[in-house]
Order: sequence, then C-alpha cells, then structure tokens
Amino acid sequence: MTEYEAIIGLETHIQLNTETKIFCGCKADSWDDAPNTNICPVCSGLPGSLPAPNRAVVEKAVRLAHAMNADIQTESYFDRKNYFYPDLPKGYQITQYDKSIARGGHMDVPMPDGSTRRVGIHKLHMEEDAGKTRNEKGRRLIDFNRCGVPLIEMVTGPDIRSADEAAEYLIRLRQLLRWLDISEADMEKAHLRADANVSIRVKGETVFNTKTEIKNVNSIEGVRAAVEKEIARQIQAYESGEKIEAWTLDWDENTQTLRKMRSKETEADYRYFKEPDLLAVHLDEEWLSGLLADFPELPLARRLRFIEQYGLPEYDANILTSERSLSDYFEAAVAAYGGDAKRVSNWMMNDVLKLLNERGLEAGALKLTAEGLADIIKLVDANTVNTPTGKSLIEKAHDSGKTPQEIVESEGLAQVSDDSAIRDIARQVIAANPDNVEKYRGGKDSLIGWFVGQVMRESGGKADPNMTRAVLEELLKG
Amino acid sequence: MTELCDLSAAELAARIRNGEARAVDALDSALARVAAVDGRPGTLDPGDLTADDQAKVHAFITLTVERARAQAEAVDKKLAQGEIPGPLAGVPFTVKDIFVVEGTPSTASSRMLANFVAPYTATPVARMEAAGAVMLGKVNLDEFTYGSSNESSAFQPHPRNPWDTSRVVGGSSGGSAAAVAAGEGALSLGTDTAGSIRQPAAFCGVVGVKPTYGRVSRYGLIAFGSSLDCPGPLARDVTDAALMLNAIAGPDARDATAVTVPVPDYTAGIEDGVKGLRIGLSPDFFKLTYYNHESSEMEERPLPDDILAAVMQAADKLSDAGARIVENVPMPHTRYGIPAYFVISRVEAASNLHRFDGVKYGYRTADKVDDLRAMYRKTRGEAFGPQPKLRILMGMYVSAAQYSEQYYQQALKVRSLIRGDFDSVFDASGEHKLDALLTPTTPTTAFPIGDVYGDSVLMQYADQLTVTADHAGIPGLSLPGGLDAGGLPIGIQLLGPDFSEASLFRIARTYERETETAAWRSARPKVLG
Repeated sequence: MTEYEAIIGLETHIQLNTETKIFCGCKADSWDDAPNTNICPVCSGLPGSLPAPNRAVVEKAVRLAHAMNADIQTESYFDRKNYFYPDLPKGYQITQYDKSIARGGHMDVPMPDGSTRRVGIHKLHMEEDAGKTRNEKGRRLIDFNRCGVPLIEMVTGPDIRSADEAAEYLIRLRQLLRWLDISEADMEKAHLRADANVSIRVKGETVFNTKTEIKNVNSIEGVRAAVEKEIARQIQAYESGEKIEAWTLDWDENTQTLRKMRSKETEADYRYFKEPDLLAVHLDEEWLSGLLADFPELPLARRLRFIEQYGLPEYDANILTSERSLSDYFEAAVAAYGGDAKRVSNWMMNDVLKLLNERGLEAGALKLTAEGLADIIKLVDANTVNTPTGKSLIEKAHDSGKTPQEIVESEGLAQVSDDSAIRDIARQVIAANPDNVEKYRGGKDSLIGWFVGQVMRESGGKADPNMTRAVLEELLKG
Repeated sequence: MTELCDLSAAELAARIRNGEARAVDALDSALARVAAVDGRPGTLDPGDLTADDQAKVHAFITLTVERARAQAEAVDKKLAQGEIPGPLAGVPFTVKDIFVVEGTPSTASSRMLANFVAPYTATPVARMEAAGAVMLGKVNLDEFTYGSSNESSAFQPHPRNPWDTSRVVGGSSGGSAAAVAAGEGALSLGTDTAGSIRQPAAFCGVVGVKPTYGRVSRYGLIAFGSSLDCPGPLARDVTDAALMLNAIAGPDARDATAVTVPVPDYTAGIEDGVKGLRIGLSPDFFKLTYYNHESSEMEERPLPDDILAAVMQAADKLSDAGARIVENVPMPHTRYGIPAYFVISRVEAASNLHRFDGVKYGYRTADKVDDLRAMYRKTRGEAFGPQPKLRILMGMYVSAAQYSEQYYQQALKVRSLIRGDFDSVFDASGEHKLDALLTPTTPTTAFPIGDVYGDSVLMQYADQLTVTADHAGIPGLSLPGGLDAGGLPIGIQLLGPDFSEASLFRIARTYERETETAAWRSARPKVLG
C-alpha cells in the first residue's frame, strides 16, 4: 500500500489585544458592541482622513517576532493592498508587503509522541482588519467596527505533516500569544484565525503538489478535523486518478464537512505600493532594547526547565506551563515550600486547578498566595491539619483573603492528635454501635473505615485519621 | 476710500484688533464684493453660459454666510470683552473645496461628492478658525484637483480670471487664487501637488506658497497624490502669506507625515533684506520641454520673453538689494519632472479614489443594479468626470504587477534624482551653496479658456516649472513679478531647501519692497473696474 504524507502550511491572523485600533483612537474590541458604534472618520475611510500609527501594535509585533526567533527589521514599511470590497472602506488595506517588521523565524513544537516539529515562519507582518459583511434578507449589511482592528498575519512554511501537528502548532501559538499578552487568542471570537493550505504527496517524494485552502475554521479542533478530512479526500482522489484542483474550501462546523467555495482564480493584482500616509516604522536602539529587556522565559522553555529542574513528569510540566501566571505561581509555591516540587505540583494540579476551573479564574487572580499554598502543604505535612482540611483551606483562603494560619486559628481547625481525646470519642462510638462491633470482630475488617469516619465526624473533622485508626484497631480488638 | 475687502489681512486684522473696524464689517465688505464680481456659484446643472456669466469670477461653490457671520460676531464679542483675539481675528478667508469642513458640503468639485457633508473639519481649516479667521465658503477647483485651469470642475460655471475673464484662473487652486485676486477674501487655503497653489497664484497675480512637505497637516484634505500634496496659503502679499502659514503650520497627531520641526514666526525678520543671501538662476528653468506626440520625443521650446525678462529683472532687483546672484546653476533633471509625476501621482490618485464606491457616502447610481460589481461600475462611471477616469486608468496601468518596475519604480528613481539636484545646489559645502533658486513659475501667463482643456498632456505641462519642488518636498513660493504685454500677471518663483520658508518670505518681501513703486504694481484686475 502506498504511504502518503501531508504538506500543510497555516496562515494565521492574530487580533491584537490593544486598547485602540491600529490607526485611530477607536476602541479595538467590539465583541459586545452594536454594529458601527466604534468608528470614526479614519477607520471608516472618510475622505481626507489619515492613519496615525499605534505604537502598541508595533511593540506587540516586535515581541511576537522575537518569540518566533525571527529577524526583527529596524526599518519596515506599510504598503497599500488595493481591492474593492464593501467592508473595506478605503478600497485598500494598509498592510506590510515587501519590507515587513520581521523576516524568517520558527517555532519548535513538541508533539504528544515526544518528537519535535520545527515549523518555519515565512511571513510576519502588521496590518489592519476590514469590516464585516452580513447578508440578511437579500440585503448586504456592513459593520465597520472591525475596520482598523490591529492584526498580525503570520504564515508558516509548508512544514506541518499532519492534522494533529497543525492542531499542536495552534495550541502552542495560542499559549504563546496569551503568555506575551499579545492577543486573547480565542479562536471562537476570531482573535486567532487560521486558514490551512493542504496538499499530499507519496512519502519520500520532494515535490509540492497542488494545494487546497481551508477557510472559516473557528476552533483548533475544527482545524484538526477539517485538515484530517481534506487529507483523506485528497488521498482518495489521487488514488482514483482524479486531479486535485486548487480549491478554496469552506469548513462547516455544524456538519463537520468541507464545501467548495470557489476555484482559485489567477492571483489578483493588488498593486501594492508604499503607503505614502505613513512614515517608515523605525525601531531605534533604545525602543528595541526596551522592548526586549526582561523578555520573559517562553512557555516551551519553561516546560523543559520544569521537567529538568524539578523532575516533574511531562504531563505536569505541560499543564503547569499552560498559562504564565499558573507557572509563576507554581514556582513561587515551590520556592516557599522548599520541599519536593512534585508534592506542590500535585496540590496545584488536583486542588488549585480545580478551584481555578470552577471559578473561571487564572492563577494570577487567586487571593491565596503561592506562599499561602506552601503553608497549607506544610500544615498538612506537620499533621497540624489533616489532608481534607488542608484542601478546604484553599477555597477558604481565596474567599476570605485570610492566610491559612489565620483560618486554622479562627475556625479551630487544628487537628486533634491528643491520644486521650480521640480515645474518648472512639469509646463512645464503640459503645453506641454494638452491632457493627460484633460484625468487625466476626471478621469484617473493612468496617474499620466506617468507624474512623464516625470518629472523624464526632470530632468535627479534626481528629488525626492515622491516630484514630490505630486507637480504634486497639480498642476493637477487645 | 479703500474698501475693507481690499486691505491686506495684516492691515485688516490690525484695524479689527484696535477697534477701527468690526469683524462683521469685514465680512459684509467681502460679501458685497462677492455679490458684485462672483456671479452665480458653480453647480452640477448650470445650463447655458450667459454673457453675464462670462464676465464674472465664479470662485465659489458654497458660501457659508451663516457660519461666517457667527464666527465674525464671536470675534467682535471677544474683542468687546477685552479678550485677545487670534492674529487673524476677523479676516475673511476661503477654502479650496478639497478640504472637509464639518457641516458643510465638501465636494472636491466632483459629482461623486456633490452631496457629501463632512462630519469633521480639516486641521488647517480648524487652525485658521482658531486664529480668528472667518471662513466665507468653499471655492472651486479642478475635479479632485486634477487640472491646471479649473475647467474640469463638475461645478460650472468654473472660475474665470479676474484680470481677463476670457482667460483661465489656472489650477487646481483656481477658485482660491481668483477669490484672493478679486478681493473676495484676503486669504485662501489651497493645495499644491504639482504646482496647484503657485500656478494659479501666478495666473491671478497673487502670492502662493507651497510649504515643505509635512509642514502643514493634510488631515482633512481629500487626497490626490498623498506623497506630494501640500496645503498652503494664497494671499495678496508676502506678509499675509507668512501670517497665514504661521497659523496653519505645525505638527498634527492625526497626520503621521506632519513634521515636528518647530515652526518659526514667519513674519519675524521678513523685512531684514537679502544681504549675503545666495540666489541661483538655472538655465534648466529657462527653457520649456514638451512631449511631441508624433515623434514620441521631448522637445525644447524657449520661455516666453516677457516671463524671462520678469525673472531677470527680479534678479537685478535682488542683486541691487545685496543678494549674490549665482548663474548657470545646473538642474539637469528638471525636464523629467512631468513624466515622473505622470506616473507617481496617478498611482496614488487611483488608489486614493478607490474609496469612492457608492457604498458609504457620496454618489450612488440611481439605476437598479443586480450585483455589487455593477453598482461600482455604474456609480463610478456616472460620477467621475474625464480627469478622474483618465487618472484611474493610467494609475492602474503603471502600477500593475507586470509594468510597475518599468514605470512606477522607474519614476521613483527619477524623483530621487530630482531631489538630488536640489540637495546638491543647496548644499552648504557644495559648489553653489544656494539659499534659494529664482525661476519663472509658469511656462505662460493665463491662457484663454478652451485653448488647452481637452489635451490632458499639454495641460499637465503647465506645471513643469513647479512640479520638481513637489517631487523633492521642498518649499516654493510664487509672487507677482510684473505683467506681460497683454496686461496679464507674470509669476516668479523662489525655491529653497527644506523648511526654508522664512528665508523665501524674506527674499520675496524684499522684491516686493524693491518694486513698490513700479507702474505694474498699481494695476488692478479688470473685474474690479
């Protein structure tokens, strides 16, 4: 049987999370706003208006370029891409064409099987978004709110070899964008958009065959599914001797199917020329070094370091570096705890993440400090509180803003490890349940757990479970 | 007695400031002059041209009388309350209808924008009003500024030359130049892309200044060639032009190309004379170049004698006043200015016209159309006049992927060479060390209406002596330099290095002073009787 490999390139559009648009002072994010409410003469292309560049856009592009190992260009230009469309109010898009802010670059994407795929970057540039067109009852409605929203277009080389790799790349890109506060990177809200170019070839060949382009996918799982479908379709077409044509395909999320939008016509001539309304983007030494000073450790590097430095399993390291404040929190907790990092990881993965997920929070928003978490683990280690009490302290500390110690004191949660006190309660429990005592003595050992539970309940959860068990076993022997 | 509308802006502002006249009096005087000489304003549907029409100036498209009166009253009120009004308080001015002004029609003299009322005000207009000047209205121009005679305006009757109403006013700031010449407003805000301030200023016998590119914000100027467009003043004398540039120059957060170089007071030192300044004469500005359709070659023609004589006479006067005249300054790329401009300006114009698609504002075809492309085609086909259409065709052609290298990129190289010509003669350590070049402004004086219109190439060559300053981005100033044998104004031009406006004003003012008593100085435009 012939083996095939897929050749995939991803064209991503990243919506930046700046306050204002790229060339005017309008609010950039219009997710919750009525159509045509965040517009002005500039972004709606009124005669006479001119673009005034937003420095924050350049700064985010520089940080992304640096993270993608690209060559940052100290002088870059904006160009006009001319075409007619009703939601493009100037009749041209201001973008970067032949002298963009960065050249080259790559990301080494770890794959679930332990391998790494180096994905090259062919293009990375800044541009403005166009508006949105909606067809309704035979009318074409246009919302200009999105006009002038800052985007970075980033295009990979044809380096991705499977649908899963495409999804992994997007997962890592999303993580990076959030890590560096460049974009909210929410595909469902189109902060991150990805079109996939897909072709196949017989494994071992080096030619590039005709590719198709998949558009309108709005989730990472959607990309995975759509690319998988398209690879299968191309293989089937190839094997039945059909010619693969350069189609543009539309992904339908509901039916999970690809639909042919149009045959790709000859490349349009956008008549690019340098935007005369803007000066060159000049990154002087001071600006650039300021932007790159204290550049944070990136998620993939931190993930590797967590594995090496703390001896964490890959699984833990992946999750703990999924989000920047979570990984910072973890490291601070490990430092405060001073003991086994894996023990801190367990508490984070089981209990802290549970709270974060339930509340929809990021670690940075926790009122329980990393030092507080370390204190809780230490209280448990020292048998000052038992494990369930320790776990309950996480939520209590977050809700009250008090330190774990304060809560333990004010609520009297310290564990009872006084032998005589436990002995008294155990005697009461034994006296009150003669039936179960008889069953236990008759050989039903598993009832010990029930007895421990009763004592714990009577003690208000404060009895040291290990000591309780030992006392009960002794008393029940008779 | 001189009417208020015939006073210079400086004199008028002084009288208003010291209580000799009120701003509303100045307004009434200007409006009376408009009523006397302007005739009917340009409209889309003018009907036949009457004999009376042919004797009038027709500078205006829109008179904004109510706005003007409110502004004038506000100035008078401020004065009455002892507040210090702006330096141009109460001075009536007009605005080329290529600038948007909030709440007023902003037409670009095109059917495309005939119904467009702007929701915001252009920066230079706002700055004039902040300086206390009173906007009288919007004046005519070639459609989208595309021309050198104002005949291409969609709003007819087009302006006619106040010196001889059978002649053109020049263009594209023709309404501006005519209004200033006829006393319909002491100052006017124009734009210069190839000579559109200086050429009509020369034809109408007024002062026109194209400042350094970026000296005046373009925000609110409906773009033609964005890398060339410069807003600037038209005025009856040099000091007024300097006063107006004081008001409109300076950085603007809304225009990334508006430079942050500090703005000097252009009137300070304006009377200081030219002693020690080096002023160059270039033979490359004393010959004309035209494209010969039949041979496809550039051919040279001599400059008309009257114009050459005016420049030489000016050189003598400046020499007498202490300037050092440097002759035989080579400016070898001057002759390529128009061909390069043909390419660069059309590429930018075609792109700048993209936004006029009938979707958002302006004209939309009244015909039923079944698809979007048909709506675009019909809208643009019906609303653009011949000049926008020609410029779109040419701009699209020379920027197409397969021709761009051959035309657009080549033209940009020529533009650099032209800039190089100026850099080398203005270089303080170079051979010529010039402070300014003295040249004629135009190849001819105002030509008869109908003589050139229709030949777009020949019309473009009317800018051949002005366009190189636009390519280079340097400042240029045209001022009256006498009258030709037919009694029509001759313009002489001063060109200087970047941001040398102050020294151009100084040289121009010196010439003005040296010729104060010349007979031609007392001649008045014929429409003024």
